[in-house]
Amino acid sequence: MSLIALGMTLVFVAVSIGISIWQKLSLEKDILIGTVRSAAQLLAVGFVLQYVFGTSHPLIVLLMLLIMIGVATWNAGKRGKGLRGILLRIGITISITEFVTLGLLLALGIIPFSTRYIIPISGMTIGNAMVVSSLFLNQMKREAETSRGEVETLLSLGATPRQAIHELLKRSARSSMIPTIDGMKTVGLVQLPGMMTGMIVAGASPLEAVRYQILIMFAFSSSAALTSILLALMSYRLWFGTQGQFKSSKTSA
Amino acid sequence: MDPLLQFNGLTKTIIIPESKTLFAQASGTINEGDRIAVTGPSGQGKSTLLRILALLDEPDSGELFLKGKPKNRWEPRLWRMEVCYVSQFPVMLNGTVEDNLKTVSRLHQTAFDAAYASRLMAHVELGEMSWSKEASSLSGGEKQRIALVRSLLLRPKLLLLDEVTASLDEASKLAVEQLLRETNRSEGTGYVWISHDREQGKRIAERSWQLSGSELSEGAVTCL
Repeated sequence: MSLIALGMTLVFVAVSIGISIWQKLSLEKDILIGTVRSAAQLLAVGFVLQYVFGTSHPLIVLLMLLIMIGVATWNAGKRGKGLRGILLRIGITISITEFVTLGLLLALGIIPFSTRYIIPISGMTIGNAMVVSSLFLNQMKREAETSRGEVETLLSLGATPRQAIHELLKRSARSSMIPTIDGMKTVGLVQLPGMMTGMIVAGASPLEAVRYQILIMFAFSSSAALTSILLALMSYRLWFGTQGQFKSSKTSA
Repeated sequence: MDPLLQFNGLTKTIIIPESKTLFAQASGTINEGDRIAVTGPSGQGKSTLLRILALLDEPDSGELFLKGKPKNRWEPRLWRMEVCYVSQFPVMLNGTVEDNLKTVSRLHQTAFDAAYASRLMAHVELGEMSWSKEASSLSGGEKQRIALVRSLLLRPKLLLLDEVTASLDEASKLAVEQLLRETNRSEGTGYVWISHDREQGKRIAERSWQLSGSELSEGAVTCL
């Protein structure tokens, strides 16, 4: 794509700003910030990737992966505010998910050991793990409010914290995995996923693009399951106090 | 012999909805098989006191001992198996009446004493109820009684009862009172019972606690 063509894409930004002004949505400032940030961030990543693909040095690749995991952890951690130690657990969860997913892809020879494959596929895996972690924590927070009676009933009957919170964890894990599973059911019928679209536009044959998309969808299903279960097991204790009381409990007189 | 449960200098302050000391320096002793009624105006912290005794809430300061052993040397789960809190808002767990009755045996992998459960159900006038009924479909009064039976199946040493007959009609209320007096006699299960009903307090208790103005005091049952 030529620079002139790229520049022309600003017309889409103009459309959104125009609508915002016309309908008094007061979104012009945010649209401008979003435009500048997305362009700057993507161009920067483009340069970094150009460099990383050029060197293929394992340490550089590792550094890239660590940065991606760090940003994803920080982002998902926002949903777990108030839970001490949640960031560490999210970080470990996403790292293990990435390690297992990428490890299987490489060990089974599904993708070659090349930065060209490792970085983009890791990005998608880590991004998916981040979304699943956020959804899980969101749902757990909601459950902790609405199902407090259930947890405390079980605690009163002598349940361990894990027994008492088991159903809440199950429901939260389910709800965090559903978007990934629903995505598997409708992919291709409703929309063509970004990666596949990109490959086709860049000249790959649709069948080749589809193969990689299938790989990604299947890898996502396992990484979503892995993420939600790991996070559930590692974080459930955080909902309980030192004497095993359910923390969200508000004091009722 | 050590008292069953003892607490010294319990203080609890809440900040929501407004900053307020519910009770300060509250102390008390409960011996095995004691039958205690707790009275006092609403909003004074009676429920919170019971929840603290069941380790469902934490006091700001103060000490708790069960069988002479301080709270921090107990595994909370084992403590709660001896001191069982029954809420004024009964929560039915997912599943049928039978699933709910079997909760304790499922949690602790012990045999389910169906005969005992049937007897308890009959005592609270639910002898005719089908156990395959969805627990969520029951009335408030039925849920309250099943929650009580579910807790009795744990065979705790002490029950902390939070207005457990508030949603019951007069006949069921008397049936529950009789059951708890009988369990007290036969199994030695004591209770601390929050009740706003003075007549009920006289029927069920041999000791009386009053919580008002952030002070816990003991008085005679006859003065209720």
